[in-house]
Amino acid sequence: MTMHGRSLIRSVRRRDVLAAAAGLAACAMLQPVGALAAGPWQRLDAARDLIGDTVPDTTGIRLDLPLVSEDGSAVSVAVTVDSPMTDDDFVQSIHLFADRNPSPEILAVELTPRAGRAELSTRVRLNESQSVIAIARTSRGRVLATARDIRVTISGCLVRADTYDSPADLDTRVRVTAPARAGEPAEVLTLINHPMETGLRLDEAGDPIPERIIDRFEARLNGEPVLRARYYRSLAANPFLRFHVAPETPGTLALTWTEDTGRIAEAEARIRPG
Amino acid sequence: MALLINRRRALTLLGAAGAGAALASWGGPRVAKAAAPHVVVIGGGFGGATAAKYIKRRNPDIAVTLIEPAERFYTCPFSNLYLGELREFESIGHGYDELRDTYGVTVLHTWADGVDPDAKSVRTRNGEDIAYDKLVLSPGVDMQWGAIEGYDEGAADKAPHAWKAGPQTRLLKSQLEAMEDGGLFILAAPANPYRCPPGPYERVAMVAHYLKTHKPRSKILLLDAKDSFSKQALFIDGWESQYGDMIEWVSLSNDGKVVRVDADTLEVETEFGTRHKADVLNVVPPQKAGFIAERAGVTDESGWVPVKPATFESALVDDIYVVGDATVAAPMPKSGFCANTQAKVVAAAIVATLEGREPPAPSWSNTCYSLIAPGYGISVAGIYHVVDGKIAEVEGSGGVSPREAPDAFRTREARYGAAWYAAISNDTWGTAGK
Repeated sequence: MTMHGRSLIRSVRRRDVLAAAAGLAACAMLQPVGALAAGPWQRLDAARDLIGDTVPDTTGIRLDLPLVSEDGSAVSVAVTVDSPMTDDDFVQSIHLFADRNPSPEILAVELTPRAGRAELSTRVRLNESQSVIAIARTSRGRVLATARDIRVTISGCLVRADTYDSPADLDTRVRVTAPARAGEPAEVLTLINHPMETGLRLDEAGDPIPERIIDRFEARLNGEPVLRARYYRSLAANPFLRFHVAPETPGTLALTWTEDTGRIAEAEARIRPG
Repeated sequence: MALLINRRRALTLLGAAGAGAALASWGGPRVAKAAAPHVVVIGGGFGGATAAKYIKRRNPDIAVTLIEPAERFYTCPFSNLYLGELREFESIGHGYDELRDTYGVTVLHTWADGVDPDAKSVRTRNGEDIAYDKLVLSPGVDMQWGAIEGYDEGAADKAPHAWKAGPQTRLLKSQLEAMEDGGLFILAAPANPYRCPPGPYERVAMVAHYLKTHKPRSKILLLDAKDSFSKQALFIDGWESQYGDMIEWVSLSNDGKVVRVDADTLEVETEFGTRHKADVLNVVPPQKAGFIAERAGVTDESGWVPVKPATFESALVDDIYVVGDATVAAPMPKSGFCANTQAKVVAAAIVATLEGREPPAPSWSNTCYSLIAPGYGISVAGIYHVVDGKIAEVEGSGGVSPREAPDAFRTREARYGAAWYAAISNDTWGTAGK
């Protein structure tokens, strides 16, 4: 498919959206909250399934990513949800999608109040210019959604290199940064060296290279879950995840990555309250 | 509207009959202004100098003022060759004699401190206000001080970036000269986008050439905030064939991203907490458009300047055109060659608009030559046009040097690179570039 063809499809869709928006305005008396729900998630099955019949709130959730990426192979994306992260009101899950990737799912993270802060960063693969979508669900049944457009170009002087091959397969890296102020959660950086083979590439003989990805990641504090994540093939090679943890006592943070073959990598870090 | 039409007619007349005839048809100061529109250009690098020259070439009756603090402009391209002792420093310096003497550009060696887009006026550092009809900004890049913890303007006096050619380049060179044999040179490279994508990789090659010649037991560590880079395979082949294992590249995923710098101890700390201590530390920090762009209100939240692709007029402010590294022109890279061709498009668009014509359809070209060793050059090239209102590479137009190539091929590319520099120096400043 050419870029030209894709642009045409996109502009047609935009017109549809505009027409739909006009329609919404016309029946604003009947559905005053309709505009809140408008967003690219409406056009994505996986996102609609998550939202169900609720009207997502588009405030209190923020996506940070560049306006333009000159190399779509590892784009930094951060999502922040305003939440007290207490036992009776916390963000239960955060989901990231790229609506024009071959498979839109990027990441799905289940959180517990032990995370202390509903804020994640990762690095994603973006096949072309598109919207990145974040959806969050809270323990009180609220659904939040936001989206941002990003333009992806492969710039001159930047030939997209093969970043699939990593000499250090399943090497893990962890860094815990103590909080700047008492009572704040600590920041945790995690990375595992892994090609995140998409299953969409061909080898030199022209045969498809089978999909092989890290598909699960889990963080436990003294045995209790902090977060559990599903990683998808739209996550960049060498999956990176930044999250938070708020321990009440000094303890051990145990991290587990699982490959879809069942292979496991583990790491531990000591952690103390802020 | 009437004034506008008169102005266009005046220009047409000027083009046809010369200034005397046109001025004779009207009288008074208002007409004098209308008869000689004024273009102000800020920045005298590849973009600004080219814009000033090509506006004059297309219509000598347009008044052009170039504001550039330096009386001699030193280019980033080929400054790495000075580090490798393959060039004299003065060979990458360029003056403004041709612009002033041959093309009649008014050259002011001062800083532009502010732009008032409503009054259409530029404030210089000596407090002068200069009115413009069209403004061209070619401000290059500024460093994002503090983006890496501990790396500010003061730190750059000890751990230079040398990403603007001049005193910083000479400082880095003198530090390399003072380094003992067996020392460690560390270069920290930023994530995209930044000025000159292949620059850090050519730089370590040129430093390696210097060290191989004078201090062969030394090592080079390239700590990178990226997992891949421009002409990667060609660079890695070249580094290995020319310098053995002298150069070690650490990618983002192998903890190459520098997050903290201690310029006093020349120590750096990476994302996952690894510490490295350098003997000479070269930090290339994240960058943004030169400050005058932000003051003119043409930057977006990224710190760079979005432009209308067909003319490179600011997407945010009318009558301000922006060229070069400051712009968001992807997929065109931030290179001197791109700034030069963007400036020609801007010159054509400005002259056409002032003469009451539609700007012509643009096309741009770029080649980035990199030198790995004397007689060992590589390149990447592309041609760009506008498709669906966006800049796109013409399919199949460019390419990179082949991975497998005889020595004679690399030698020819090294020669082409030197010829390119001479040619673009001549095109931009009328200088020899040798």
